[in-house]
Amino acid sequence: MKSDDNWAMRAIDRNLHWSLAAVALLIPVWWLAFRTTTFIADPLVVAQALPEFLANPETWSNIGITLGRVAIGLGCGVLAGTLAALAMNRNRLLEQVLRVYVISTLRTPSAISAILALAIFKGDEIGYVFVVAIVTFPFMTIGLVDGLKSADRELDKMARIYHFGIVRHVRHVLLPYIAPFIFSSLRNAHALAWKVIVVAEIFGAARTGFGAKFDHAWEYMLMVEVHLWLLVFMALVLFVEYGVLRVIERYVFRWRDRAAS
Amino acid sequence: MTVTNQSVLKVAGMGVSYGGVQAISRFDFEVKQGEFVAVLGPSGCGKSSMLNVISGLLEPTRGEVTVNGRPLYGEGRQDPKLGYVFQNHRLLPWRTVKQNLELALASSDVPRERWDRNIDEMLRTLHISQFKDAWPLQLSGGQRQRVSIARAILVEPSYILMDEPLSTLDEVTARSLREELSAISRRTGTTIMFVTHSIREAVYLADRIIILTRGPSNVFEDYSVPIEKPRDYDDPRIGEVERDIINRVKGVWGMKRTERTEDH
Repeated sequence: MKSDDNWAMRAIDRNLHWSLAAVALLIPVWWLAFRTTTFIADPLVVAQALPEFLANPETWSNIGITLGRVAIGLGCGVLAGTLAALAMNRNRLLEQVLRVYVISTLRTPSAISAILALAIFKGDEIGYVFVVAIVTFPFMTIGLVDGLKSADRELDKMARIYHFGIVRHVRHVLLPYIAPFIFSSLRNAHALAWKVIVVAEIFGAARTGFGAKFDHAWEYMLMVEVHLWLLVFMALVLFVEYGVLRVIERYVFRWRDRAAS
Repeated sequence: MTVTNQSVLKVAGMGVSYGGVQAISRFDFEVKQGEFVAVLGPSGCGKSSMLNVISGLLEPTRGEVTVNGRPLYGEGRQDPKLGYVFQNHRLLPWRTVKQNLELALASSDVPRERWDRNIDEMLRTLHISQFKDAWPLQLSGGQRQRVSIARAILVEPSYILMDEPLSTLDEVTARSLREELSAISRRTGTTIMFVTHSIREAVYLADRIIILTRGPSNVFEDYSVPIEKPRDYDDPRIGEVERDIINRVKGVWGMKRTERTEDH
């Protein structure tokens, strides 16, 4: 049997090749767009401005603020979605009631959620977190409800026969079983969280955060800065996806890789 | 190890109905300490319901089930300490062989300091020591079922229920596992209740065979296998007993009755 080797590095290595290739493919497309349109900045100029942009502490503080809003909002969305899914799985009446809220929030356009939340919280910091939470919660709920409904009843039976108890049952049987549903929902929720936070920061006339700085640069037609913020945004989203979510996913599902090898 | 007179499992007047349809009409039987009892019955005769009842998962519509003299349902009930070998291994694919065994042990009364030694010994007995750190998906069907058997024995249960555990395996693997099961049951003295469709398998393994009628089932016959242990699967006497049982059940299994009773 293989001993546990450096699974995290292998996961990153595997992802990195293709991800870098995909990013590299964007450069000629960008250059073509620059040559044929008015508002696209010269990739070379943007590349030259990048080191100074990244060296500016203000850049990182704004990234940190947006990242914090996304992390807290997503955390709240995941928690609310998990609790709602557990309740819906246990009780038919609760399922009927909660499904109304889930479907309503799922179908409401993100921009409208953002405007409403910011109006309710009068542009307060909690409004940004609330927007992310309310938009991501139904994705988590739907995914987890599907996972819980498909849980293997025979494994449940085994757990009951061997007296696993509720904690071991949830930790060692139920959670690993629904883990694919959790990751799938989390990935969707994460992607949506980034989209909606930018909208919220722009609509909410925030003074800090990625959306605020992007909006400011756009308003004054500082196109190089617009592109720099876009680049940072892409890098951040890709880092969380490939450097965090997928690495965790690979660790959780390492038993599949080993079995296939 | 030998069979003692101490009753481990006693089923008296047990009946099970679902939505007005009777699955089990009436079961009465007893399993003694160290006994290997096979249960034979045609498809749909209520074997699964019976296993659910005596594993503590399904309260019977009527009758009593006691384990070591204490009721399994109702007042003064106790959860049975049992091992279970499923038709499909039911190992957790995200835990290694050792982790699967440890999880079952963690919920048992077996002290932690004995786990490692017991696991090593059991895996050696079942010839799967080399797979201790393997994931279940890396094992063959027979190896997984061996792990499942190891799990059932390691928790030191009052009795083990086996639900057609060899029916999905190829004949060569099944044959080797039958021999190992027979040897383990003799050596450890574990009380085993083994449900099977194979009359020959039942005759080879069991001290006693409980033969059921078609559903809604009764116990048709409590048949003592008249061959001393250890047995040889190719022993002509096993074939004779097999034929004898076939002749007895032919008429009963050929009939089909339906009865309706009160709701479960």
